[in-house]
Amino acid sequence: MSKLLSKKVLFLCLAIGLAVIIAGAVLAGVLGYNADSTMKDYTAVEVSDLAYASRSEAVQDQLRDFCRGEIEKEYKVTQYEYFENNSTGGATLRFTVNGTVDAAFCDSLEAAVAGAGIEGVTSDLVTVTYHIAENAPYYDFVWRTAVGLCVAFVILFVYMAIRYRLGMGAVALLAAVHDAAVVLALVAILRIPSGVALAGVAAFVVFLSAALNLFVFGRMRKNFRSEEFKNSPAEDTVSLSVREMKGTVLAVAVGIAVAVILLGVAGAVIGFDMTCLMIAALFGVLVTVYSSLILSPSLYALIRKKSDAIRAEKAKYNYVSDKKKDKAEKPAETVTEA
Amino acid sequence: MGKKKSVALIILVTVVLLGLLFISVTPAFYVNATQRFTSLISIFDLGSDLGGGYSVVYYPEGVITAEEYAGLVAQYEETKGTEDETADPAGQYTAHKGIYLSEELMDGENVTETFRTEFENAFRAICERFENKNFTDYTVKLQDDYTVYVEIPNVERNETVSSLFAMFAYGGSLTFTDGASNEMIASRETVKGASVVDAGDGGYAIKIDFTKEGRSAFSTLTGDMVSAAGDSGTATMYIRVGDNDLVSNGIQVNEQLDQNSIYISGSYTTRESAETVVCVINSVLSEDNQFNLSLDASQIYSYGPTMGENAGLIVACIVGVCILAMLVYSLVRYKGMGLAHVYGFLTYALALVLCIALLDGITVSMAGVAAIVLSAAVMVGFNFFAFKNIRDEFYTGKTLTAAIKSGYKKSLALTIDSHIVLFLLSLVVYLIAVGSAQYMALIFMLGTVISAACTLAVTRFYLYMFLAQPKNKIAFCNLKREETEDE
Repeated sequence: MSKLLSKKVLFLCLAIGLAVIIAGAVLAGVLGYNADSTMKDYTAVEVSDLAYASRSEAVQDQLRDFCRGEIEKEYKVTQYEYFENNSTGGATLRFTVNGTVDAAFCDSLEAAVAGAGIEGVTSDLVTVTYHIAENAPYYDFVWRTAVGLCVAFVILFVYMAIRYRLGMGAVALLAAVHDAAVVLALVAILRIPSGVALAGVAAFVVFLSAALNLFVFGRMRKNFRSEEFKNSPAEDTVSLSVREMKGTVLAVAVGIAVAVILLGVAGAVIGFDMTCLMIAALFGVLVTVYSSLILSPSLYALIRKKSDAIRAEKAKYNYVSDKKKDKAEKPAETVTEA
Repeated sequence: MGKKKSVALIILVTVVLLGLLFISVTPAFYVNATQRFTSLISIFDLGSDLGGGYSVVYYPEGVITAEEYAGLVAQYEETKGTEDETADPAGQYTAHKGIYLSEELMDGENVTETFRTEFENAFRAICERFENKNFTDYTVKLQDDYTVYVEIPNVERNETVSSLFAMFAYGGSLTFTDGASNEMIASRETVKGASVVDAGDGGYAIKIDFTKEGRSAFSTLTGDMVSAAGDSGTATMYIRVGDNDLVSNGIQVNEQLDQNSIYISGSYTTRESAETVVCVINSVLSEDNQFNLSLDASQIYSYGPTMGENAGLIVACIVGVCILAMLVYSLVRYKGMGLAHVYGFLTYALALVLCIALLDGITVSMAGVAAIVLSAAVMVGFNFFAFKNIRDEFYTGKTLTAAIKSGYKKSLALTIDSHIVLFLLSLVVYLIAVGSAQYMALIFMLGTVISAACTLAVTRFYLYMFLAQPKNKIAFCNLKREETEDE
């Protein structure tokens, strides 16, 4: 029997999982999730240029770099975005900053831009202002996704309980809930910036958890049914099933993980939000592999062992009750003879 | 399968797959001066994280931008001392963060209570409308306390962005009127709600369901309208929110309508455009979402992907590289079976691309990309699982044909079970969830169905097709018979 499938390891896994989920829930409840650039409240300095589209690329770059340089003298620029007005040809350069901006700074920046000697840039065409924005919460997105996933858990349990065994259904359900909760908790604990796509990542984790657990449970079902393992202890059969399916589970997980890592690396170059999302997805892959190869099999081995013990107890020939039965029958016989 | 038949099939399948691959992934190019070839991948609807989108700031009446204020100041400076002198904007507007508030909205140093309440209602209604519109991702922000900043994905292909933004700014209640004395103001007591229905060739229609009370009131209204129309017997009914027409030019009524629902069709060629109207109708039925405030949504800006410049292209390239690496690995490891897998996987991938590109209502965001990667991995996993079973069966001493048959048989139950479970899970999430999880589930559901077909039938068919060709079929499948010493 594999050491990883022992009772001790199981309780350790469950304790760690529970601790992570509780810590994550507390942090998410108190601080909320760390919002990514799309959902973050922000203070931004906006430079509007009415003639931006008509300027050469070099002038556009010069204007952007000049503004960034001037703003960075006072504030830390955390993000730069560019918005184009297709109907007027104007554009807005938005510099998200850390700190409190005031009208005086905007006026001084406007004057500096106008006096910077950038070709064609005058105070008539360029306006500098600042905005403070607060993100509106997404009630429907959150609760409907949560309800959807809860119903998915129930479907997973019912199907597995009917087609496989009740114990397997219960373990697959627990694994799916565990995986999704642990990933969401890790995102909260590590303060990984996340947006609405996190709901998609939660769904991704549930689907992946179901797929990987099905690989392992499929083999377990087959092995438990075969004559070869009929007299083997439950742990041995579970352990062998895990060994047999480890390759397939890892092949699927590694394939996904490679794609996720490459996307995360690309995100580090083009936009940090993608990296953050991919870190969450990578946690999903790791947690589901762990749960399908360690947590679920050890939990199922324990359940199976208990149920086998109960079945064996029921199947035992009960001599005591037979004696009692005999005693009860004897006086009745005597009466009949008399 | 005979050799000739196999060759013909291989050529046919290869040509079809290459053709589909060409129209799926080839970069766009001009066929002639006026016509441009566009690949299927490039017509995917993308979420704002991969494809960018449009943003707007809703300015309530009496609230102006810093640019507008600067314009007023310039105009004042220019006309100062002349007979056309305009009012000094400094006396008319108060600066508040990055915006300027008209004195009409002010009560001393603060804004009036009426304006504050109306703006809160407007903000709540706008939030609800954009949430119900069910974009993959969107942003609504309260900017500078008294304006609303909104970002949505690029939906230009399905509806006009300017009319969407304008319509979501409509305030007031829902009214059915003939423009004269006959009108019915709708509320939750009279109208249950609105929904989009398929109108066949006519595009889409909006269905408005009445309550019992509403049905009776609407019947009376249409009866009065027809009576008031006089000899022509045809009245025009306008459906308005506040002063804004939801249906341009109104709808013709030529008889008293006593029914539970009415259908409005004709102007909605896409589901999305009809959904926009439905969102507004459903929103204004609640009194909490009615506001008496005019919102300007004229300044619409476009922005790039929020995940970074060229995010869509880079993601497509990375997924492509991963697929290529996986195909090479399968060829090296399984040789002939790997070749069948390559063809099977290409069939799966191209079918998925066709579905995403051509079916309505599928938007690919980063969550959608995760779904594509996941369903592809599941498909690959089950193919490799079948190959492993074939190998195991072959090593028990069976012939190759028997091993293939038996290997597929052994993997059949698990493959079917897994695909059914994954399909059911994604269906449930698709039906209940909204936003990125819903679109992700839809893509995963399609991927699961195609994966099931390709794993259970298509790859197996390709394997038989290729096995008809080689002389040494066992070596072709990268299998080796263990040597046994004869006695």
